[in-house]
Amino acid sequence: MSTATVGVHRKEKAAAAALVEMCSVRVGQTLFGVPITHILEIVGSPRPQPVPLAPGFVGGLVHYRGDVLTTVSLRQLLGLPPKDGSQDILVLESSGGCFGLLVDSVGEVLTVSSADHEPNPSILDEHRRALFAGAYKLKDSLLVMLDPEQLDPMRLGAELVA
Amino acid sequence: MDELTREFLIESQEGLDRMERCLTDLEQRPQDAGLIGEIFRSVHTIKGTTGFLGFKRLEKLAHAGENLLGLLREGKLTANRPIITGLLQLLDGLRAILKTIEAEEAEGEGDDAVLISCLEELQRPAQVEEKQQVHAIAGADSASAHPAPVARKVKKSAKAAPISTVQASAVTTQTIAQPVESAPSAAPVPKGPEGDVARPLAQGTSAAESTLRVDVSLLNRMMNLVGELVLTRNQVLQATSADPNMTMLSRRLDMVTADLRESVMKARMQPVSNIFSKIPRIVRDLSQSLGRRVRLEVEGQDTELDKSLLEAIKDPLTHAVRNSLDHGIEPPEVRESAGKDPEGTLKLRAAQEGSHVIIEISDDGAGIPVEKVRQKAIERGVITRDRAAHMVERELLQLIFLPGFSTAAAVTNVSGRGVGMDVVRTNVEKIGGKVEIDSRVGKGTTLRLRIPLTLAIIPALIVRSVNQSFALPQGALSELVHVPAEQTAAVIEWIENAPLYRLRGKLLPLVFLDRLLRPGSEHKVAAERDKFIAVLDADGRRFGLVVDGLADPEEIVVKPLSGVLKDIGLFSGATVLGNADLALILDPGAIALKAGVAQREEEPVGAPESESDAAKHIEYLLVEAGGRQAAVPLTDVLRIEQLPLSRIEYIGYRPVLNFEGQLLPVEDSGGVLTAAQDDPKAQGNSEQQIIVVVCREGNRHVGIAVSHVLDVADGGDLFEAGTTQRTDGVTLLKNHVTGVVDLGGVAPLAAEGEVSGEWSQTVETMA
Repeated sequence: MSTATVGVHRKEKAAAAALVEMCSVRVGQTLFGVPITHILEIVGSPRPQPVPLAPGFVGGLVHYRGDVLTTVSLRQLLGLPPKDGSQDILVLESSGGCFGLLVDSVGEVLTVSSADHEPNPSILDEHRRALFAGAYKLKDSLLVMLDPEQLDPMRLGAELVA
Repeated sequence: MDELTREFLIESQEGLDRMERCLTDLEQRPQDAGLIGEIFRSVHTIKGTTGFLGFKRLEKLAHAGENLLGLLREGKLTANRPIITGLLQLLDGLRAILKTIEAEEAEGEGDDAVLISCLEELQRPAQVEEKQQVHAIAGADSASAHPAPVARKVKKSAKAAPISTVQASAVTTQTIAQPVESAPSAAPVPKGPEGDVARPLAQGTSAAESTLRVDVSLLNRMMNLVGELVLTRNQVLQATSADPNMTMLSRRLDMVTADLRESVMKARMQPVSNIFSKIPRIVRDLSQSLGRRVRLEVEGQDTELDKSLLEAIKDPLTHAVRNSLDHGIEPPEVRESAGKDPEGTLKLRAAQEGSHVIIEISDDGAGIPVEKVRQKAIERGVITRDRAAHMVERELLQLIFLPGFSTAAAVTNVSGRGVGMDVVRTNVEKIGGKVEIDSRVGKGTTLRLRIPLTLAIIPALIVRSVNQSFALPQGALSELVHVPAEQTAAVIEWIENAPLYRLRGKLLPLVFLDRLLRPGSEHKVAAERDKFIAVLDADGRRFGLVVDGLADPEEIVVKPLSGVLKDIGLFSGATVLGNADLALILDPGAIALKAGVAQREEEPVGAPESESDAAKHIEYLLVEAGGRQAAVPLTDVLRIEQLPLSRIEYIGYRPVLNFEGQLLPVEDSGGVLTAAQDDPKAQGNSEQQIIVVVCREGNRHVGIAVSHVLDVADGGDLFEAGTTQRTDGVTLLKNHVTGVVDLGGVAPLAAEGEVSGEWSQTVETMA
């Protein structure tokens, strides 16, 4: 798994840092992108086990390769109503360890150019501005980039306390 | 940090641990060339490798030590107390630098000049002595000259293979040491260390070839994967159960998985000698600073325990040893005047007992003065005077585990601040263990740590609440009470908003798990559902946890939770159940704390039971029958059955019970059955329940009909006034004289007759 990640890194560098591969995910109406270098695996999972008394953004626990992963529900994080039916989980790696990101559905991998990237618009509310890392202009829509480091449950938890 | 440095740190730490062990041994056997050789090698390896890695400060210090050790090894010096103290200081100095390197990847700025000059100082008398020795040997070539035989011994054994390499390395050391000292150029250094590093390795071939150093995190990962494999196996077993061809295969998979799991668990085990080896040094230092004479005896060093558990009991063990030395073993003069050997004995014993490892720390010191504990406890307001008067010795001893409790007359720098024993208990309970204490004034104290074999897998009861499964560690669970739906409203009593349950006549605070987990929402006192009360003992807090349902007990694999979820404070981890569901592991201590259940200070639980005590105190089941109390020895009780009265049948006039296909004579000298049958209200009521205590008597089983089961209590022997004759048939229970049921007196079924067990009269003494 890690060799694959390294491989992608190299390829990225070789392409003069112009092209980035993003895994597109959909939550509600919005299309989000997560750099595939941070994704360990995509799991179509049964419903995560809820954790009573957990902070609102926690989507529950899932069993992943012998470990128990805490998931962050992007829906709950953005204050959207809960969704019925199946959801997908991206297993992400951040400096604090692994965690799951609960999304409505996972789309294709898109290759975007850094030339099409623009920072967060100033009219976005502060909470979202901290979570999003700008957007890529696609042909017919926008791909909002997510920064896995910002979504780490430890960081979100610390922010909640502060 | 680069690989090489890390390797060096691990190796050096191991070397220093070995050195510490050898040093304390050396004090006993100052002539042992093997020990000196071992110490020399440890320091020498560090010095060699540091030069190579460029840690100058470490190198200088190690070099100073090496010079001193060289003299020792050549027999020019004998290891006396100041030298060993100096070497121990060197050890601490080296450790401190290694620690700094580990933290900062640099040696730090500290100055070792004092220590180095101290080490050099220690070499000096040697030189004088050396000359004298030479004279002595030259003058009279006799073995009477003290160090001479040692020198010879070394030379002689030099011919033997393992030590000859030491000799060789010594030569290289000297040649290398000089250039390094005169001009600290890097050039000649690498040549030396490489050779030197190789040598000790070569020496340890037998061990090195068959063992491998493995990162603990890798083992943890393996453990996880094995857990995963177990789950996949379970699913495969389920999916293939219909196909006969697959059954064979999946059964093999089953076996291999079980074996694999066991092997991985074994790989995590380490001998307790890893932590016991630190003790001799502590004993040495403390006995010197406290002016005690102590002999340390260690037993069961090769008992194995999970690595993480070993780490966890390191501190409690150290605390316990400190306590023994400071409060337990008396100064030599005191011991002598008490007619004891002036040298005290501290015993460390480790042994495996079933799924637990027992670690015992016992001393033959002064013991814990129970009266002093009683007074201190009253003084500090821990217990009331009235209560204190009633407490038996064993209950009082439990008080020393309370935070801030100390009987030490004066606070020393070693202990007596009263933080020791509660830390011991907290740490041991944290890993699911138990602490027991047994002490006799004037004879000594024994502290027993009961540690589960492994942390990774614990037995747990799966309970249901808020439509989810939770795992409740069995360690804290003392009993379960089932409350049928129609009784919930009646049985659970309230003082304002505090729910309580009468457990054998005593009020037990209740905590509703669903209310705790969903604090905001409305909760009816759900009368429509059965409830279960899990009676828990956690950190001396006793309470009942009310849950909606019970599932099977399971051996669960504990998985850590992420920080965010740990912060909730109610869950100690999570686990994957056999049906692949996830369950959170409840932390009974944290629940008690959150719900505000107070520590039952005046009535500590988990009372210890030691062999010596067991002889005097027998546990009894206290029952009530026909308005009188009676006691049944707990060891004879097999089970307590609540069953409908209609189950009781009669042979002639003798009541019997058809119990699991066996005929059980039921003893009814309390008249419980007769009273129940004659009860007019009960006529025609098939629901009427009676309680039968099923006991073992010799090779047969007998039942005793009782009206209530009251409690379990310790009974003491009673002596007839003026004699030391034990009275049979009665015991002292809770300060009441209570009759013991004579099980032997229950007539066998075959023998028709009037003989029946007698309820001895309960005589109530004035309390």
